[in-house]
This record gives sequence, C-alpha cells and structure tokens, in this order.
Amino acid sequence: MKFLMNTGRTVPQGESVERKDSPEYEKATSVCMIHPVDMMVLGIEDGARVCVKNKSGEVVLVAVSSEAIEQGTIFVPLGPYANHIIDSETHCTGMPDFKSMTVDIEPGDTPVMTVSELIEKLGGVRYAH
Amino acid sequence: MLIKDVVCPFCGCLCDDLDVEVEGDRIIRVDNACTLGSSTMVGDHRLKNPIRRNGTRWEDTTYDAAIEEAAQILLDADRPVLYGWSSTHGEAQSLGVHLAELIGGVIDSTTSVCHGPSILAIQEVGHPGCTLGQVKNRADLIIYWASNPIDAHPRHMSRYTTYATGFFVQDAQHDRKVIVVDTRRTQSADVADEFLKIKPGGDYAVLLALRAIVRGRADVVPAEVAGVSRVQLIRVAEMCKAAKFGAIFFGLGLTMTAGKNKNVRNAIELTDELNRHTKFIISPMRGHWNVYGSNEVFTWMTGYPYAIDFSRGIAFYNPGETTVIDILSRGECDACLVVASDPAAHFPRSCVEHLAKIPVIQIDPHPNATTHICRLQIPGSVAGIDAAGTAYRMDGVPIRMKSIINTGIPNDTEILQKLYNRVREARGE
Repeated sequence: MKFLMNTGRTVPQGESVERKDSPEYEKATSVCMIHPVDMMVLGIEDGARVCVKNKSGEVVLVAVSSEAIEQGTIFVPLGPYANHIIDSETHCTGMPDFKSMTVDIEPGDTPVMTVSELIEKLGGVRYAH
Repeated sequence: MLIKDVVCPFCGCLCDDLDVEVEGDRIIRVDNACTLGSSTMVGDHRLKNPIRRNGTRWEDTTYDAAIEEAAQILLDADRPVLYGWSSTHGEAQSLGVHLAELIGGVIDSTTSVCHGPSILAIQEVGHPGCTLGQVKNRADLIIYWASNPIDAHPRHMSRYTTYATGFFVQDAQHDRKVIVVDTRRTQSADVADEFLKIKPGGDYAVLLALRAIVRGRADVVPAEVAGVSRVQLIRVAEMCKAAKFGAIFFGLGLTMTAGKNKNVRNAIELTDELNRHTKFIISPMRGHWNVYGSNEVFTWMTGYPYAIDFSRGIAFYNPGETTVIDILSRGECDACLVVASDPAAHFPRSCVEHLAKIPVIQIDPHPNATTHICRLQIPGSVAGIDAAGTAYRMDGVPIRMKSIINTGIPNDTEILQKLYNRVREARGE
C-alpha cells in the first residue's frame, strides 16, 4: 500500500539525540505513525512491525496509530531509519525530499535493526561505547 | 555551585536563562531548560579520548596522533569536504573556513539539509525579519507555518510568542492570536486559535491564495485550496490585516517538500503583501544552536552563507552543485572532515554509503551514527558546557556561551588550530 512519508522532529528524538546507541533513541526514531483507518486496511495493530520501502531501500519500523496523521501519509521521526529510504535527489537545490518521499508499506515480522546494524549494512564498522 | 543565566546549547532559541547546578566537573541539575536542553546539559555520554579504526577494530589514540593522521588524510585528498559546523562556536567555524581555503576543499554546514532553500529565497527577495525581543514585546498575531515548535523548539512559545508577556502585550493568552498551518495536527496546532490543515505539498497554493485575498482578489480563489476552505482563508487573511504586528515563523515543511525555496519565496512575498496593510515579519525556525552562526561566519569570510567550494582557488558557491548531498551523491568527495554533526544519521542512504567508502574524520564529543563510518574521531568540549564561544540565535543575535565546568577536554578551536597548523607545516608554509 502506497503512502507519502513525512519526517520531522519529536521530543523523544531530540531528548536522546546525543545517545544514538541507546534503546531510547532507537525506539524514538524507528516508529512509523499511521492513521488508524490505514492500519485497519493494512490489517495491523499498534506496535506491529512494518516494512517500509521504495527504490532507495527498505527499513523495518514499528507502526503506531495516530489520528493526527492524514490518511495516505505516514510520519517517521528524523534519523537513520527514515533516511534509510530517502533518495539523495535535490532538484538542484541541495535539499533532498525529506518530507515528501513516496513509500510502500507491508506488514512484516523482521526485527527492527539497531542504529549500528543499520550503519554496518551501509559499510560501517560498529563502535561499542 | 549554582550558576545563573546559562545559555543552552541545543536549538536556535539559545535560551539564556538557565539555572545550572554544578559539582566539580559535573552538571547535576538544570532548571528552566526544556527536556531537550536539559538532557543535553546533564548528558554524560561523551567519548573519553580520540579513537581510530584499524581495519575492522577500534583502538584508542592520543590527540597529537589523531591530529597528525587527520592532517595526512586531508593532505592526500583531491576533493575534501568539511561538513557540519552548526553545533560548534563561531571561532571554530572561522578556522574551518581557513582550513577549507588552505586545502582547496568545500565547506558546507547543516544549513544544506535544513534552511538552505530559505537562504536561496532570501537571496531572491530579501528577509523582512526582526529580533525575537521585538516579537515578544509587540506581536499580537503569530503564525507557525509548517513548523512544530512544541517538539522542535519547546520554549519558543513560552519565551517569545503564545505565552510570553511583552511590553505591548500584557496578557499574552488573550491579546495574542496564534495560527498554525501544517499537514498534520501537532500539539502546536492544538494550542492555536486557528489551524489550517493543508494537504501535503499544498503550501505554495495556499500561500498564493492568501496573497490574492490580501490583495483584494478573493474572487479568484476557488472554494477549496489544498484542503483549506476559501472561507477559512478569508478569515485568516482578515486576522492578519487586523493585527498590529504579525510574525510568521516557518519550518522545514516549506524547505523539504516540492517547491522548496519557491515555497519560502512565496511566504516572504505574502509578508510583503501584508506590510501594505500592517507591520509583518517572517523568520525561519533555525534548528541547531549555532547554525545561524555558521551562515554569518561563512558569509563574512567568503561572501557566501554555505556550500562554498575553494577548489578553484577562490570562493565559489552554487547550491545544487557545491552542496554536500550533491557532492556525495555524485561520488566526488574523497575525504570528509565532519565537525559537530552526524551525517550518517541525517543524510540519505546513498550519501552515507559513499561516506563509508572514504576516510572520514569526525570532531564530535559523542559517539554517534557517524562514528561507525569514520576512520578517526576526536572528541572536543561543548560550548556552553565546558567551552566558551560565540553563537548566533535564530534571529541573528550573537550570544556569548560561557564555560561552566572544566573537563580538561580541548575545545574545537584548539583542535582545529592544531590541525590547520599541521597541514600548513606539512605543505612547507
């Protein structure tokens, strides 16, 4: 099912932004807020894992129901999870479409990766603090 | 010991009224700060010493050895990018420009992925702005357009707008009206007198419709514009015209969606239109505590606010070409110095993949997502906590950040000065 992905700041994201290897930051940035009607159509409940993908890649997130979100759109706090599926095209402005990426969402049961696992997947070497 | 009037190093509000209790080299309590500022001030998640990657292992190293290795990486690079700069003080930003010029590199700040398009718009049509003090004391109408201060700038409303008592606004909650324009109902929208919920990507059309109404041409506006009824648009336009002093604060909802700089230009032109009826200003909600400072310092020194390329031997600026995302997505950059930023967490996937292939040096106090892709990380102290330095608030007011504890960690200026000296020395200068 297709959605328009919006990303942005949240208080839990900002509160844990200096501790990116903490469970709090991972929890704060790996959520995908969806309108309850869209969750019903997807056949999922609060806390279900979803695979969010587009031509840039795919990432597993935790679905959270929110009536504040417009139907047909999702909101993901800014961070490494959202950016895993953001395209680098800037339309000659220097700025990618961080708030307007089209994505496909499917229910899934793959575990949510940690931040270090995500970066390792892109070629990094994990540093354990 | 209690230290009063401490400046917060988190967001562009640079709140300067924090009461901080310190014990030795630790901060044990912070009063008056928001949750974000408080967790920054009391956080103890620092990297203890420089680290370097040796193949697939990490090892500790010394400041001198790390600076030597960093200098070699920069000297060997053909297309180095020096990126970040928004969470460090102005003195370090200035050294960054000198270093970029010395090695013929590109220097760019987080502005690129924040309010870069706003600056492009300001370059086209100007910036009718003012200080936050003026807003607090005079504004009787506030518009938050595509921004969510409660989550991103939690004290903006209480210090300067919705709940702030001002000289000419004695009863803020009664005398000041607040309008929120957004694609989702945020907590900020919940406290507004008027909420315009627009369809995603509809900002440009709604701004145009408001401009037409303010100009007296409501007749050309259709019954609904991007999900907003003409009736509501006319009501909002009348509120704006009736205000004695209006202030628009806009966020990344304008810069990160289709239209980007043209959305912002349209918002500035609406402000222009409103100034034919009353006094109106517009300003971006700047994110990092000194991102505005990076634009100021870069502009004084090079003539350009961000994305400055020294590879031609002179300062060259062309956003879309010399901006960090474009350089990385073209695979051009062959070494990167990251200062006080975390591109691995905040850049699109393909850019992070490229960074993982090249030598990255990071000067940052915390282990973060970029740590996993860098070759070398050098921790510096933080202005406002254990370093002193100058920062610029989101309205362009420079504020001195005090050092309130002594950790013995070198600050970013000291680290960069040594790096600059080492590069010059190696080049025989």
